Amino acid sequence: MILTTFAAASSEPHISLAAEEIFKLGPVSITNSIILGVIGIAVTVGILFYVASMLKRGKSNFITGIVQWAFEGFYGQAEEIIGDKVVARRIFPLAITMFFVILITYWLSVLPGVGTITVDGIPVFRALPADLNFTFALAIITVVATQVYAVQKHGIFGNIGRYLKNPIKDPIGAFEGILEFIGEFSRLVALSFRLFGNAFAGEVLLLLIAILAGYVAGLVLPFFMAFELFIGFIQAYVFFVLTLIFTSLALATHGDHSSEHSPAHPTQALKHE
Amino acid sequence: MSNSFTQFAAVAKESGASEADILTSLGIDWTLLIMQLIAFLILVWILGKFVYPVFLRIIDERQEKLDEAGRAAEQAQEKAEEAEEKIADSLQQARKEAADIVATAKAEASQMVEKAEAQAKARSERIVAEAQEDIQKDVLAARKALEKDTISLVKKAAGLAISGVADEKLDTALIKKSVEGAK
Repeated sequence: MILTTFAAASSEPHISLAAEEIFKLGPVSITNSIILGVIGIAVTVGILFYVASMLKRGKSNFITGIVQWAFEGFYGQAEEIIGDKVVARRIFPLAITMFFVILITYWLSVLPGVGTITVDGIPVFRALPADLNFTFALAIITVVATQVYAVQKHGIFGNIGRYLKNPIKDPIGAFEGILEFIGEFSRLVALSFRLFGNAFAGEVLLLLIAILAGYVAGLVLPFFMAFELFIGFIQAYVFFVLTLIFTSLALATHGDHSSEHSPAHPTQALKHE
Repeated sequence: MSNSFTQFAAVAKESGASEADILTSLGIDWTLLIMQLIAFLILVWILGKFVYPVFLRIIDERQEKLDEAGRAAEQAQEKAEEAEEKIADSLQQARKEAADIVATAKAEASQMVEKAEAQAKARSERIVAEAQEDIQKDVLAARKALEKDTISLVKKAAGLAISGVADEKLDTALIKKSVEGAK
């Protein structure tokens, strides 16, 4: 393998919808998204462990302040959205981990070298959210987690009853149940493709801007990089909020059903989207 | 550049062949997907076990402190209200007592003035009476002295008259002299 770096302005862009294999580790192919993903997750874990250890010792600095502020703010939001403090505390580790991992791995995509350092023409680094395997895995975890909490709350038959209703007794409810069932799959697709689409488009955008701007790329790119950082935050936040909202909707009892489709928080959250 | 875009389009075109091709063209690799899914769950477990409890403990402690502060503030508010009520009562009582004291003082002062006036009047009357009594006594004493002198003069005059020494001129002179002496 020959590791080559090139100036994007002087080369043809390499755009691939799928993450590409860099090398094989036994039977598992290690893709460019996994390489940057491992770095991103290592950074995330490092930061979180560092902040936790600092807080344990009663010390604080700018980084601990920022992380603690974000954590507390999102925890408050989780309690507000879920409504049940016990459930909020149980779902929160999953949701906040998604937020931090998506945020850091997304932000790493704006680093110089991502998409430009190549091996045999294949970029060595690719943002983890720009790999559909990762976003689809997160979406599966979210949907399964909501189903687990729904079963814990309503029981197995109670949860099935949310989708299957007697069409003779309640024809509208039965139709709604079918839509709800389809909705679970649409959530899966929407969650995964939204994040993937934004991250992939962001990478392509940066690459194209670098080519189109030519020698002034150094002046133009920072604005688009800042924009990508903002989009990365929004996407991480949307994933976090939607995870909580889907859980909240799954936990809603039959009496709350009428308000399920027009809750105040989902509307606010989706506005950010 | 155009090659890459045509490659991208070609991938999309090929993906129309079958569902498996769609997933492949999108980069879905079930092995990688399951591996990432498990890795993420392990990450959540590790962070949930070792990191998040530290954050949550701090949040709980802060919440507890806030609750305590809230309760303390409520208690302080209640105490302040009680103290205000007590102060208002004390003020009212003090005002009432002050009014009573002022009224009593006024009454006592008025009584004292009246008493002093009465005493002064009595004293002045007594002084006047004593003065009058002294004058009366002086008048009486003067009268008695005059009477005594008159009697003495008369006695002298009578003695002279009896001794024949006296004549009309002498009597008159004696009488005048006696009167002047009496004065």
